[in-house]
Amino acid sequence: MIWMIARRDLLERWRDGRLLWAGGMILVLLLTALAIGYEHRQQARAEQRAAQSADYADWLKQGRRHPHDAAHQGMHAFKPEAALALIDPGINPYIGSTVWLQAHRQSEVMFRPAQDATSLQRFGELSTGWILQVLGPLLVIVLGFNAFAGEREQGILRQAVSLGIPTRSMLWGKAIALGASLLGLLAPAALLACVAAVLAADAGTRLDTWLRFGLLAFGYALYLGIFVFLTLGVSAAASTSRVAITVLLALWIGNAVIAPRVMAELARRTHPTPTRLEFNHALDANLKATSDRLWMANFGTTERWGRDVPLDKWGKALQFDDHSSYKVFDRHFGGLWDTWEHQQALQEWSGVLLPMLAVRALSMDAAGTDFGHHRNFTDAAERHRRLIQDIVSEDLVKHADPLGGQHFAYQSGPELWKRIPAFNYHPPAAAWALQRSWRSLLALCAALGLAFAFAWRAASRQRAY
Amino acid sequence: MNKLLQFRRLRMVMAEELRLLAADRSFWVVSLIFLVLIGYALSNGLHQATLRAGAQSAIVHDDVQRRAGQLNKLERIMAGKEVPGPFDNPADPTHMGGGYGAHHAILPPAPLAAVALGQDDLFPSQYKVTYESRISFIGNNDIENPWNLLSGHFDLSFVLVYLLPFLIFALGYNLLSAERESGTLRLLMSQPLALWTLLLGKIATRAVVLLALAVLVPVATLMLARPAALSGGGTLLYWAATVAVYALFWFALVLAVNACGKSSATNAMVLIIAWVTLVLVLPSLLNLAVGAAVPSPSRAELATRTRVLTAEAMARNNKLLSTDYAHVGKPGVLVPKDGSIQMAGRLRGMFLIEREIDQKIAPELARFDLQQERRQALVARYSFLSPAAVAAEAMSALAGTGQRRHAWFMRQVGNYHAAWQQFFFTRIDAGRAVTVADFSHIPHFAWREEEGSTVDRDAMWALVQLFAPCLLLLGFALWRLRRYRVV
Amino acid sequence: MLEAIGLTKRYGANTALDRLDLRIEPGDIYCLLGANGAGKTTTINLFLNFIDPSEGRALINGMDVTRSPLRTKQEVAYIPEQVNLYPTLSGLENLRYFSGLALGRELPRERLLGLMEEVGLDPAVADRRVGGYSKGMRQKVWIAVALAKQARALLLDEPTSGLDPRAANEFSNLLTRASANGVAILTTTHDLFHARHTGTRIGIMKQGCLVENLESRAISDLELQTIYLRHMGGAA
Repeated sequence: MIWMIARRDLLERWRDGRLLWAGGMILVLLLTALAIGYEHRQQARAEQRAAQSADYADWLKQGRRHPHDAAHQGMHAFKPEAALALIDPGINPYIGSTVWLQAHRQSEVMFRPAQDATSLQRFGELSTGWILQVLGPLLVIVLGFNAFAGEREQGILRQAVSLGIPTRSMLWGKAIALGASLLGLLAPAALLACVAAVLAADAGTRLDTWLRFGLLAFGYALYLGIFVFLTLGVSAAASTSRVAITVLLALWIGNAVIAPRVMAELARRTHPTPTRLEFNHALDANLKATSDRLWMANFGTTERWGRDVPLDKWGKALQFDDHSSYKVFDRHFGGLWDTWEHQQALQEWSGVLLPMLAVRALSMDAAGTDFGHHRNFTDAAERHRRLIQDIVSEDLVKHADPLGGQHFAYQSGPELWKRIPAFNYHPPAAAWALQRSWRSLLALCAALGLAFAFAWRAASRQRAY
Repeated sequence: MNKLLQFRRLRMVMAEELRLLAADRSFWVVSLIFLVLIGYALSNGLHQATLRAGAQSAIVHDDVQRRAGQLNKLERIMAGKEVPGPFDNPADPTHMGGGYGAHHAILPPAPLAAVALGQDDLFPSQYKVTYESRISFIGNNDIENPWNLLSGHFDLSFVLVYLLPFLIFALGYNLLSAERESGTLRLLMSQPLALWTLLLGKIATRAVVLLALAVLVPVATLMLARPAALSGGGTLLYWAATVAVYALFWFALVLAVNACGKSSATNAMVLIIAWVTLVLVLPSLLNLAVGAAVPSPSRAELATRTRVLTAEAMARNNKLLSTDYAHVGKPGVLVPKDGSIQMAGRLRGMFLIEREIDQKIAPELARFDLQQERRQALVARYSFLSPAAVAAEAMSALAGTGQRRHAWFMRQVGNYHAAWQQFFFTRIDAGRAVTVADFSHIPHFAWREEEGSTVDRDAMWALVQLFAPCLLLLGFALWRLRRYRVV
Repeated sequence: MLEAIGLTKRYGANTALDRLDLRIEPGDIYCLLGANGAGKTTTINLFLNFIDPSEGRALINGMDVTRSPLRTKQEVAYIPEQVNLYPTLSGLENLRYFSGLALGRELPRERLLGLMEEVGLDPAVADRRVGGYSKGMRQKVWIAVALAKQARALLLDEPTSGLDPRAANEFSNLLTRASANGVAILTTTHDLFHARHTGTRIGIMKQGCLVENLESRAISDLELQTIYLRHMGGAA
């Protein structure tokens, strides 16, 4: 019986043109976004590959010079653009993908792509993820708002109930019809996206991309499922179609348009971040305190690089200095980034009532374009930088320090440069992403449960006439 | 028909519509929600604006204090009471011109800043300007969670651009269709009442109510909470006009849709689709199109080029870099003698390298700037396609957080940077120390506000861009109304 | 005076009204009979300029309704079959609004109450919301509006349908009084009895054409019924 109800519902939706027009428009947008996303991603990846290999080649090609200088010139780390960024570019436009690994400076990303943006940046970028997150629920609402209410107005519901059809069958039937409509519309696009992503993926990561895509698809299925049941529930609870669509639209605006901004402001207030000035002050104060302690202990003075530190100790001094500052940097930057992750976690939890935030986090995580993945990259870059620094310092201690006053006359060459490996970064595996997405997944499941419970109750208690 | 009698009837219609609205519970609910949203948006805007102003004044205070400290230190050094260190010597122009002595160039907030927070987090309002290449300090942004950057701010501009149309839809989607569906239109039209008079009365009533909410409430709140906003002079008026004309556009759309004579449900659907298209989809499609038409030069390439130049410059100055720090064991070396200062070879080398890179990378950066200008020009030309984009940018511009004011700021930063470099390069090249007297001549960033006429011109142009589609829609509505079927 | 000269309305291939010639003098009560879709409502809509004629003209007091829509509407009062007022307003408020629009100025409360009394509405219900009124009560409010207008012509679309016999009788008396005052009345109806006893002339419409034009005094109830059924295709 459920299948009969589903089939009839689906047929009607097709016949009244809604599926064709509304669905068609969304499909066109989706395909456009996919095409553009694919092109962007391919271009970015090619660029990164070329730049990264040129970077290392140049490093090796350096002439003979003081190792410290080589470390100052440094290397670059280019973040590989995730294959699934073509579906959801996540925070990538708002955070740079180039890190300069330079001596004595904590590496921070260089440019934010959004800096090159025009005033239209505030309206966001048209991506597949955005379309699904913002317009997907609207599509569900348009397709389903009068599922119960319309039939009630036409008197058909009364007749159906008089035939003895249980409301749970009606609910399931209509839910399946809605789901099938969505599937019919989105499946071709999804297939295309999957193929595009797998093609775009780097060699050896194809399986990983598959798995991530699966997680992504699952997340969006949960998200749209929430709206299917919410729509049916409201349709059942509302007295007329007009009331149903008004309420649903209000909910949609609240979820898709208002919620992200309000929750961002709330998260900012709950977990505030310091201004750059405050951050720098705190960092510098801590660095100074640590360095004073260290230099006093080792050289009997707090004056760094002053007259009391002989040149034949500069290599060793550099080593101490760097190592001590690592902990300070880690504490401060780590604290800052932890705050950001807390801000995001708060918004993921709010996904129980505002599913868009949870699915956004999940989508970015699965695509590999969220802050967690970025942090993974910058941590790896920083580790590489420290590796460079350590190798260089060691060499200085061994060769430059013994030269005493001629410390800076020491020059090293390709034999040292070769000892430093290329920056070879592999983004974390799908399992890691899955593990990190537990909050959003849980929130989405809870939201789905709530939506289903609401729909069940509304359908059982609705008036037949 | 006697115009006077239609005018009287117009007044009657307006009065009755007001009564009808007041008796409609959903009107109160929607208005209340809107009021809450506006209130929250304003309070948030004021809060953020206050925070930013506070952060800026902290920076200024910090700069001033450091400079005072440096002056103090220099005086003590010259009096022989203190020995300078190798990396923080206020007499050394390479230090004072670098990060040690650098001050911030600050873009102060405009009076209406609370109204549109804009992309202040993407376009920073302060840069620490050193003699190094621009590339080194431009990237130094304020700390903000990229997720929050993605979400955007909840400010008044957002509520007005995105949500005001919904309020207008809620009040007007069934302007005529409800009367027709309920049968009262027949009764009205059997009286000597022109259809146009009826419509005008209905729209005018709703417009008055709406604008009271959307314009008067924020203006009144600003006057109370931030009286400085009034000092903006005509800016507040332009802002009110922008909101009014933007609202008028949506009213014109509602009118046009109603004039087509379809059912209330169809009207609602068409209006929602129009909103999604004009406010959500078109601007981001336009964004993409501009990005495709005039792509941004590759930043990765810039990074590579910078590194190549750095390598070349370092190779050229290798000898200098190989000299040692002579001050070790001989601290007196760092003290200026007869106005001259001996700069450590390595430091001099670093400085020369920096300058070389700056000069060579300048054309690349100029290319970026040019591309950016072209993209923004393209946006300015085509944003008329989306009234939401026009309104948002207009409100940002009036709030002082728009792209044009920031570009103006960047130009002034460029000039300040050049002056700063000039001041310190002459000293570095000549080996002249920084004296106590020099301190008062160190270039100081003095912000020059935009020309009022520029602001006014852009505001007027935005109004025109918003008004033109209004007229088109009104024309269309007039045409369709001739054929409007009352039954 | 109401006049139709060759009045025609076509919707594509379908002719809803075919060259209607009609003249209703002041004091006449002209009843238009016919099946659903015969063209009765179309005629009324044409007089009210709710639709444009394909051919011909409709005149009210000598003025063409398409040329002077607002002027002619001042002269005529319209009472539809279903009177729907603004449910959130009271009867009095509805009356005040519509009569205000009709006359171009608002009438004072006493006058409005007087009008309500004239149509037989209890003043107690005047301030109650129309949402609670019965169909008859709503119609009475509308008649009050029509009276306030003091129009010289009246257009009624099935006014007695859905009214109980007492209300229908009250209504007939109203029409008679108006006609005595020199108002030209055109009313469409299904009610043969009402047509013959209240109306002065009777017209029968079939598929857009006026097939019979009778004086109500000249025929009996039975004759009217016979003629009517003959045109409708039923057995005599």
